[in-house]
Amino acid sequence: MHALLGENGAGKTTLMRIAYGLEIPDRGEIEVGSESRTASRERLASPREARALGIGMVHQHFTSIPAFTVAENVALAAGWRETGRRAMSRAREVIDRLGLPLDPGAVTRDLSVQLRQRLEIVQALAAEARVLLLDEPTAVLAPPEVAELVNVIRRFAAQGGAVVLITHKLREVALVADRVTVLRDGRVALTGSVGAFDPRALSAAMIGDDPALAETRRVSDTAEHEPRISIAPADQEPIVLRAGEIVGVAAVEGNGQRELLRAIAGVDSSPPGLSLTVSGSVAFIPEDRTTEALIGEFTLVENQALGHLDRLPRWLDWGAIARDADAVIRDHDVRTTGSAVAAATLSGGNQQKFVLGRALGRDPEIVIAENPTRGLDIRATGAVHGRLREAAGRGACVLVHSSDLDEVIALADRLLVMHAGVLQELPRVASRSAIGDAMLGLSREPR
Amino acid sequence: MDLELLIAFGAATVRVATPLALAALGEAISERGGVLNLGIEGSMLAGALGAAIGAIAGGPWAGVALGMAAGMSAAMVLALAAVVGRADQIISGTAVTLGAIGLTGMIAQQAFGTAGAGLAVPTLAPVGVPLLEQVPVLGPIVFRQSPLTYLTVALVPVVAWLLFRTRFGLELRAAGEAPLGAAAAGVRVRMVRSLGVLAGGALAGIGGASLVLAQVGTFTERMTAGRGFIAIAIVVLGRWHPVGALLAALLFGAATALQFLFQASGITVVPYQVLLALPYLLALAVLATAVGRARAPAALARNE
Repeated sequence: MHALLGENGAGKTTLMRIAYGLEIPDRGEIEVGSESRTASRERLASPREARALGIGMVHQHFTSIPAFTVAENVALAAGWRETGRRAMSRAREVIDRLGLPLDPGAVTRDLSVQLRQRLEIVQALAAEARVLLLDEPTAVLAPPEVAELVNVIRRFAAQGGAVVLITHKLREVALVADRVTVLRDGRVALTGSVGAFDPRALSAAMIGDDPALAETRRVSDTAEHEPRISIAPADQEPIVLRAGEIVGVAAVEGNGQRELLRAIAGVDSSPPGLSLTVSGSVAFIPEDRTTEALIGEFTLVENQALGHLDRLPRWLDWGAIARDADAVIRDHDVRTTGSAVAAATLSGGNQQKFVLGRALGRDPEIVIAENPTRGLDIRATGAVHGRLREAAGRGACVLVHSSDLDEVIALADRLLVMHAGVLQELPRVASRSAIGDAMLGLSREPR
Repeated sequence: MDLELLIAFGAATVRVATPLALAALGEAISERGGVLNLGIEGSMLAGALGAAIGAIAGGPWAGVALGMAAGMSAAMVLALAAVVGRADQIISGTAVTLGAIGLTGMIAQQAFGTAGAGLAVPTLAPVGVPLLEQVPVLGPIVFRQSPLTYLTVALVPVVAWLLFRTRFGLELRAAGEAPLGAAAAGVRVRMVRSLGVLAGGALAGIGGASLVLAQVGTFTERMTAGRGFIAIAIVVLGRWHPVGALLAALLFGAATALQFLFQASGITVVPYQVLLALPYLLALAVLATAVGRARAPAALARNE
């Protein structure tokens, strides 16, 4: 049983999708089978072929169709010709063989989450799979259900099956796996027997430890500057963010950082248990350029207007707004044929330059940015970083979250780490592994 | 074809197009905000009944006011269900229309008795525009119409201005294109969508009123006969733009007026029923061909 570990975007799912014929690799080779039957090739043509070679996959999200019966879903997934009663009896055979009790006549919609997860596994194994790929199968399960799933996987492995389990929960690795591989940026960062590594070694491998980058931090003394944002968890000392500093928030996706940033930006209401004080004008740079920051079908001028809705008069003066948009395009080197084109026609980097220019255009006192360089190339990333540093240099309080820890460390004067909705400040000189431990909740002081 | 017949045909086109254009302007506002208002038929029907009751009680202009209020109240139901309550827009809209059919029928029986057809409602007589009505051909077609027709034409630039020149219009269109993006920019999406639906209901209500007060002169059950749904096709054909909606409404008006023309000239080649069905066939054709490059608001019929 093999665990595949890595941060979001490390390439775990992509690798498994290649192994299942869903994605085409740029290069490399796939080998399936044992001495008796070996197929070695550059890629698999389709999931159909993967199934024929004995590979089954359980995806991150349920793939069963709620309106179908269990038998119908199994028949669909396994590509059976049988329908109706004959599919029902064949599904019953499979279920009995696998030892995963399920009523083949039950309508999938009526199943509990646990049973639906079980159905996903039956679907994956129905075509006599020898290799089972599991993509974060425990994400939707509560602890007792995880234990049940682990038993099922163990039984499959005991019968001679091979299992790859994608996860980013270190606990599960120790619980289930025999061997472990850690991916980082699409490369193998570590691989070997589970017993050989402690959790800290795994987390260090996931996050990487490159001391050279730490020196690029800007040193500045802002302790006496005007407070802009105060974040006070219930009965705790508030964390005060001040003018002129860049504060980075490091967190694994889904730990409450999105909610926190949006609450400070005034887009959402405060998360429970945190009291926020925000003093100053706020510019918010949401992470998704195409669905949130910009409206693709609107022109840059219209998007410019939307960006400063609170300062817009009731009756619009499009001439003045167009002049503002043109100024942003000029000052921030946005490559476009003009301000009257739809935002969707710009490249990602130029869209982001426009978003940033629009946000910084009126010298906001507070800048909130979520993943401001996601999907950008190195040049555009550099331009965005430069603008954020400039804003801080002009006295703005800049709060940045990035899923890329390197980016947080490169930008931040101060470092906050959020895990499971709890915020803590780490010293600026904290090592990367200490940051990683805090992000995964390994080093949180007991409260 | 003699000139007199052509003038009669033209005038009928404009008269018939008026309620369609009003409803289509309303639907365009609603759809620009991302709400596909299938309750527009219900709003028109409510507007028609409101107009009949109001006109009998206080004259035609009271009818217009009550019709508008009735159209808005039907739209209010949709706004509460589909926008505030985030219920499915298609189902809520259908429910509003079906509910309006039942409710208006019941109220009409209570208010007017079963006599129904004999009911006479004070109407808005056509008003000639001085000088312009003297223009040959065009004068009697365009400038000897009900005041509600002039109101409709005046509303076209007003709606265009509302959608494209005001902060509200920008917020509404943003809510219709990208509710998430709008919310991130600080737009109160449900609020502006609700206001869009209400404005649309008001215009559809006036549309229903114009049907009673400027076209038919009475109220009968289900008298809108699918005009609201045709207004939805008109919005598509008019590419969600007020000017386009006006022009498309005239096209549908002409398709309807064609039967008057054929009857008046005694042409019997085509059965009368086929001509009656013409606007609906046209609506089907419009929706099926989706009219070239026309693009609906991206978030149409989707709740945030």
